[in-house]
Amino acid sequence: MSDFQNNHAAATDDPSQSKLVADRYLKREVLGEGTYGVVFKAIDTKTGKTVAIKKIRLGKYKEGVNFTALREIKILKELLDPNIIALIDAFPHKGNLHLVFEFMESDLEAVIRDRNIVLSLADIKSYLQMTLKGLAYCHKKWVLHRDMKPNNLLIGSDGQLKLADFGLARIFGSPDRKFTHQVFARWYRSPELLFGTKQYGSGVDVWAAACIFAELLLRRPFLQGTSDIDQLGKIFAAFGTPKPSQWPDMIYLPDYVEYQYVPAPPLRSLFPMASDDALDLLSKMFTYDPKRRISAQEALEHRYFTSVPAPTKPALLPRPARKGETINSRQIDLNASVEGPIVLSPPRKSRRVTVQREGLDGNPFKLEKTDEHIRDVKNVGEASNQSNIMPMSIDLATAFGSRPSRPTLNSVDRSYLKRKLELDLEFEHHS
Amino acid sequence: MAANFWTSSHFKQLLDAMEVDVVHSPDKEKGLTPEEFRLVKIHMTNYIWKLAHHVKVRQRVIATAVAYFRRVCARKSMSEYDPRLVAPTCLYLAAKAEESTIQARLLVFYIKKIYVDEKYRFEIKDILEMEMKLLEALDYYLVVFHPYRPLIQLLQDAGMADLTHISWSLVNDSYRMDLILVHPPYMIALACINIASVLKEKNATAWFEELRVDMNAVKNISIEILDFYDTYRTPSDDRVNLVLSKLKA
Repeated sequence: MSDFQNNHAAATDDPSQSKLVADRYLKREVLGEGTYGVVFKAIDTKTGKTVAIKKIRLGKYKEGVNFTALREIKILKELLDPNIIALIDAFPHKGNLHLVFEFMESDLEAVIRDRNIVLSLADIKSYLQMTLKGLAYCHKKWVLHRDMKPNNLLIGSDGQLKLADFGLARIFGSPDRKFTHQVFARWYRSPELLFGTKQYGSGVDVWAAACIFAELLLRRPFLQGTSDIDQLGKIFAAFGTPKPSQWPDMIYLPDYVEYQYVPAPPLRSLFPMASDDALDLLSKMFTYDPKRRISAQEALEHRYFTSVPAPTKPALLPRPARKGETINSRQIDLNASVEGPIVLSPPRKSRRVTVQREGLDGNPFKLEKTDEHIRDVKNVGEASNQSNIMPMSIDLATAFGSRPSRPTLNSVDRSYLKRKLELDLEFEHHS
Repeated sequence: MAANFWTSSHFKQLLDAMEVDVVHSPDKEKGLTPEEFRLVKIHMTNYIWKLAHHVKVRQRVIATAVAYFRRVCARKSMSEYDPRLVAPTCLYLAAKAEESTIQARLLVFYIKKIYVDEKYRFEIKDILEMEMKLLEALDYYLVVFHPYRPLIQLLQDAGMADLTHISWSLVNDSYRMDLILVHPPYMIALACINIASVLKEKNATAWFEELRVDMNAVKNISIEILDFYDTYRTPSDDRVNLVLSKLKA
């Protein structure tokens, strides 16, 4: 869309367009619909810079300033770092709260998906480094992001990557506070969250960063689970079912279910392109036991970042073209596993695994097949190129060439989260 | 110490003691004296406390609400920001910011329960309007640190866990003053431990010495707290109403 069209559209949307908003901002075109309201582009007449203004819709239930927005304000006012989105200003206007952010051109998801972009190993290193820098800063300030995914890593016109969308973020000052485990889009959720832990730390963000690292290497989401159980199955298929020695606390987690043992394929087979250093870092970020998982700061000090090639300077990173359709690559490995993961569940947990009935049939061949499949990544990849001859149990969307849309927090997650966050106070009132 | 106080906005926003207890000129013109100003702040702190016990929120929410209230008082005149509306709205906003939202209609319900006086009566819409104004008045800084957590840690470190109850109560009472706007929370905690140890005749001198804190500063805060106890009387509703009626004129 040309600028002219955009301006025209904005002008018809809002007749007062020529007027300054809050005596400072020159309103331009609408950029999109955010989590809690419209986002539009504007010029900050004070600095001459382009900004993105989020207009926060007032809550439906007459509860004033949107809770998520308030959380984002609270957190961002405490964070100031080159790799964190800057909250420049906030102001009420016509009864709505407006948040002013620095304007970001693109996001990492667009980069990963853009098939016209070739990401060199140095480029990947640069993106990961910026991600980890932002994360290490958050963790230093005791903030958990809790929604790390490529889509929330924005890229500025100078190539700088910045963590954004702190609507799920929390300050984790007190070590014993219980948090909800319903955070992160599923594909980026760590195993401890998937097992329902209520007490977690910065490791959850590191796991998600590892998923993003893997996604940069593979150019597609690494572990695309279709349910929480399936997500764990995908994780275990990639790294092997964790043994108690690897992760002693695992069996005590609230939603722990036993999975049939699957050995880990060599990491190298999943990431044929990656350097040894990259694989070493990746495996440390994907460590099962959150206590032993590498921290964001330690990850930054890993030799991967000092070995050649040096990370590309942000300004020299390849830029995505305007958002458009991208051609799907048809490499499939873990995510095309023909069989669901095999869950060996204690009887009291059977409720949790009913969806996995086929997996519980206990067909001894299933494990073998999955295993074979992983070893045979390439073959499956080729087969999937002939799209329609794939067996039905394969993810339909992948088979037909359109990637399943990225999971976001669905409404169940959201309402669960909301209930959790209200800390059961409401119930006390009614009693 | 848990979350990082030294790099927080709370630390950067600490005020000089001289800045916090100043009557703003619109209020001064209407005859509000510094003593009356303090009285209203104490009364409203108690009001937030009462409301909070009705809607059942954590201690931390109450403390944050009072800190917001006192920050607003340090910046805005009471003629412009009616404390009878600011106080409950601070509780409403603090509950949200501390992740334990309370419903505006509940707050309105309990306000009516506590005060029959019409001047205290507000509707949901008033609270929500004031919420937006408060955010602006607070410059959108919402993270507040409190002495409670360092208090527990310090007492443990000192091996004086038996002083928890009394020093915790002292911290609670310190919110009737502006200490939270002026001193780092752990200093307030230390002052309360200091007072508690003196009251209970525990010798904590050696432990304090090992801490390498500015002991004079701790003592000064302690004295400030003790002075406050000496002069403290719960303000009567009538007295407060009389003061507040000045501001309307």
